[in-house]
Amino acid sequence: MLTLNYFLALGAVLFCIGLYGALAKRNAVAVLMGIEIMLNAVNITLVAFSYFNQTAQFKTLLTGQIFAIFIITVAAAEAAVALAMIIAIYRKRSTVDVGEIDLMKW
Amino acid sequence: MALYDFSWFVLFSPLFSFVVIIFGTRMWDLFSRPRAVPASVSGAHGEHEAEAHGDTHDDEHGESESMQEYDDDPQLPSLTPGAKWSGYIGVFIMALACIYSWLLLLNTTGVIDIAQALPAKGVLVFSYTWLNQGATASYLVAFRVDNLAIVMMVVVTTVSLLVQFYSQGYMDNSAGYARFFSYLSLFTFSMLVITFAQNFLVMFIGWELVGLSSYLLIGFWINKRAKPEEDRLSPATAAIEAFITTRIGDVGFIIGIMILFANTGTFDFATLTSSVTHMNQGLLTLAMIFVFCGAIGKSAQVPLHVWLPPAMEGPTPVSALIHAATMVAAGVYMVARTFPLFAAAGPAAFLVVAWVGGITAIFAALIALAQYDFKRVLAFSTISQLGYMFVGLGVAGTTYGPGPGMFHLFTHAFFKALLFLGAGSVLHALHHATHREVQDMRQMGGLGSRMPITAITWLVATLAISGFPFFSGFYSKDSIIGLAFDHGDYALWAITLFTAGLTAFYMLRAFILAFGGKGGSFGGLWGGPYRGAGDPHESPITITIPLILLAIASIVAGYWFGFYAYLTPGAPTLSLGVILSDWKTWVGVAVAFIGLGWAYALYGSVEFAKIHEFVENRPVLRVSHQILLRKFYVDDLYSALIKYVVLGLCHIAAAFDTYIVDGIVNGAAGLVRTSGRDLSHVETGRVQTYMAGFFGGVAVLAIAVIVLVTFVK
Amino acid sequence: MNLATLLFWIVAIILVGAALTVVTMRNIVHSALALVVVFGMASGIYLLLNAEFIAIVQILIYAGAVTILVLFALMLTRTNNLRTDSNPTNKQWWLAVIISALVGAGIIYATANSPHAIANSGNSAGQLPVGISNVVRIGQLLYSPTTYSYVLPFEIASVVLLVAIVGAIVIGRED
Repeated sequence: MLTLNYFLALGAVLFCIGLYGALAKRNAVAVLMGIEIMLNAVNITLVAFSYFNQTAQFKTLLTGQIFAIFIITVAAAEAAVALAMIIAIYRKRSTVDVGEIDLMKW
Repeated sequence: MALYDFSWFVLFSPLFSFVVIIFGTRMWDLFSRPRAVPASVSGAHGEHEAEAHGDTHDDEHGESESMQEYDDDPQLPSLTPGAKWSGYIGVFIMALACIYSWLLLLNTTGVIDIAQALPAKGVLVFSYTWLNQGATASYLVAFRVDNLAIVMMVVVTTVSLLVQFYSQGYMDNSAGYARFFSYLSLFTFSMLVITFAQNFLVMFIGWELVGLSSYLLIGFWINKRAKPEEDRLSPATAAIEAFITTRIGDVGFIIGIMILFANTGTFDFATLTSSVTHMNQGLLTLAMIFVFCGAIGKSAQVPLHVWLPPAMEGPTPVSALIHAATMVAAGVYMVARTFPLFAAAGPAAFLVVAWVGGITAIFAALIALAQYDFKRVLAFSTISQLGYMFVGLGVAGTTYGPGPGMFHLFTHAFFKALLFLGAGSVLHALHHATHREVQDMRQMGGLGSRMPITAITWLVATLAISGFPFFSGFYSKDSIIGLAFDHGDYALWAITLFTAGLTAFYMLRAFILAFGGKGGSFGGLWGGPYRGAGDPHESPITITIPLILLAIASIVAGYWFGFYAYLTPGAPTLSLGVILSDWKTWVGVAVAFIGLGWAYALYGSVEFAKIHEFVENRPVLRVSHQILLRKFYVDDLYSALIKYVVLGLCHIAAAFDTYIVDGIVNGAAGLVRTSGRDLSHVETGRVQTYMAGFFGGVAVLAIAVIVLVTFVK
Repeated sequence: MNLATLLFWIVAIILVGAALTVVTMRNIVHSALALVVVFGMASGIYLLLNAEFIAIVQILIYAGAVTILVLFALMLTRTNNLRTDSNPTNKQWWLAVIISALVGAGIIYATANSPHAIANSGNSAGQLPVGISNVVRIGQLLYSPTTYSYVLPFEIASVVLLVAIVGAIVIGRED
């Protein structure tokens, strides 16, 4: 039987994999991909909560799904802007290695 | 009663004289001097410059060998009127005070009768409320005159008058003439503050003022240098040594005063006398021993005697005033003043007083045997006689009161002042004859025929101090020795008796070395070959008149037989019959004669060089001579103590300050700087580092929450 | 093991596998392609959760637009060693492993032992009004002017998208 815990565990695992990708990769686009995975994990969690909601007052409101829609929207916008930034940096520095973008160093 | 009520005049007249001289006649003196150098600095510096360079346009000595003395004792060709008037004012006011105090003395002893008798408690002369906090603390500056104060007053003013008169001749043409008289007046005032004091507070103020004045007077020749080859310090160093050594005694003094105040709530002597009976006697004994420490310092007893010999670097009138008659007697006076307190304390207090005095007496007498310096023999003689005074105070008991000790102080003031002033006369004459400062007895000899008045008076004083029958010392010293025996202190009796013999020996030795020698008349006592250079002659009349007056006093002062009863009503009076019939007197006389006779036989018949050779050839004598000459190495011990212990502690403290305190301060700053530099590396500028930190924190918090929730339920 | 559970496990395993592929591949284009699989499988999960609209939007937006964006970015920021090492890991990868593991373990443990268990075995019965499909319901919730709705966030989201477009153009243009 599918219970909420399965979906939450799935969301947690995906979140951690995305976190690893965001922290351990040198290519800026790879970091962005890690972030996208994290966002997807969150979406899964939210929709799972919406599905398993039994509270009479709220279960018709589908809050989780609405939230997920907005996350998708904003994630798309953010991906666009982030990729534009990466391209601008590449033009200036000829590199997309995040380890080399450290002008705010001490 | 008016005679007593106005006796504040005696106290304040020297202060008045000091103020007038410093602000009046000395200013007149300084401004009237010819300007030798252009005054590039104004005000006080200009005056000091004029005083210090006052001799650049004058060379009294005119010999190149005396180059070293140019800044030792600056001289002027002649004294300005301002300086002369400083002398006149000092002498005149002191004469008035002296006459007044003699009037008081004569009136209270009954010789004359111009006022009624003094009540035993004395009369309050002047009182000023310094601070009044009601019952807890009431500090009065109060002065009182009673019999003891009158005795001391007479001694102080008389000796001070004679010294000031003498200084007119001795300090003639000196550039600091006016300053000298002002300091003498200040010193006399300080001494009188101690004399008139009614409570410990005022006495301590006077104590410190005396210390200040003696510092100024000992270090009078500001620029004089040290003479290490003669084992002599510079006067400035000697002044500091005097001040600091007496200060060390003052620590004990203050502790004693504080213990008394804490337990009785008062400083006043009269009130203390009645309140200390309620105190714990052991604590009182301890307090009085501490108070005695002040006397140990001020009166140069062992172990704080080390300042007195170097203090001879001051001018000889200063030595006469301070170190013969007055300042060193302040300790004796203080013990006499607080005699009821000592009596109320346990027997240990008097025992300490007597034994410190006894040990000092023999210690100093032994050292004086081997000294070559004329004034140094007298310095150690002073220390030894002060020891006698304390023995006298210690063994008297309440029947005799402070009588014996004070009687010896009274007679000692006169003959010791005479000894010092006579020595000053000799040094003055030798200075004029050789144009150098000669103080070594090995370069004197045979001065008796060349300076007869000085020699005769010195002989009188020598006999007085030796206890020759019918001179003043015979009465005062032998009564102390006899009292020691009567009191049961046979050891003290033996010590004081032996010291009397030693005293006679070294004093006559000094006399013969200076004024006599083999080949003189009376078997080497008078005249003979002169071992020095130049041609010394008798000193002027301003110097010899005080000598004659003091010689008379040295003989006559011993005949005041009612002295003990004057101070302590009910004490036995001396009488010649009793004295002559007591066997102890004859033992004392015999010992004195042995000492005198041996010195006469030895130094009158044998040349000094031969004696020296005799001593050098025998190892035992040579070693003991060396020990005595180096003053039992006490000075060296103290020097080593200060150099290694005191300065060692200072170095430790300095190291503590440099490394630990500064280390902490600098270390704190260094810590901040280093940690800042290292922590700045956290800011890598890379976003991934920051994210790692962020999520790392999340992980830590998550685990923390889980742990807390599971286990702290 | 009914059909739903079986489907769930298949989709979940492929999803996780694809996610691991995204973060471990050396060649970044391989990562990008694995990302597409991730998006697709996520959509499958949504379908299992009766969220059809979300599933379709996921395919449209993520697997469609976002993937194209990523691939264009990869093309425009190409480095020379595309095949060998265009997607390296940095030196603190071990720290990332630890952190991720801890966070994941924390979340899973917390959710598994949480006392606030929402009806773990439930379904979406009664979530939709009769005769209305998921899409219609979402539409009602997003646009309805009279009943409870999320109109305002919707309008704001459109402004966000506008700003993002303008921003992307401004940042990315050559000057």
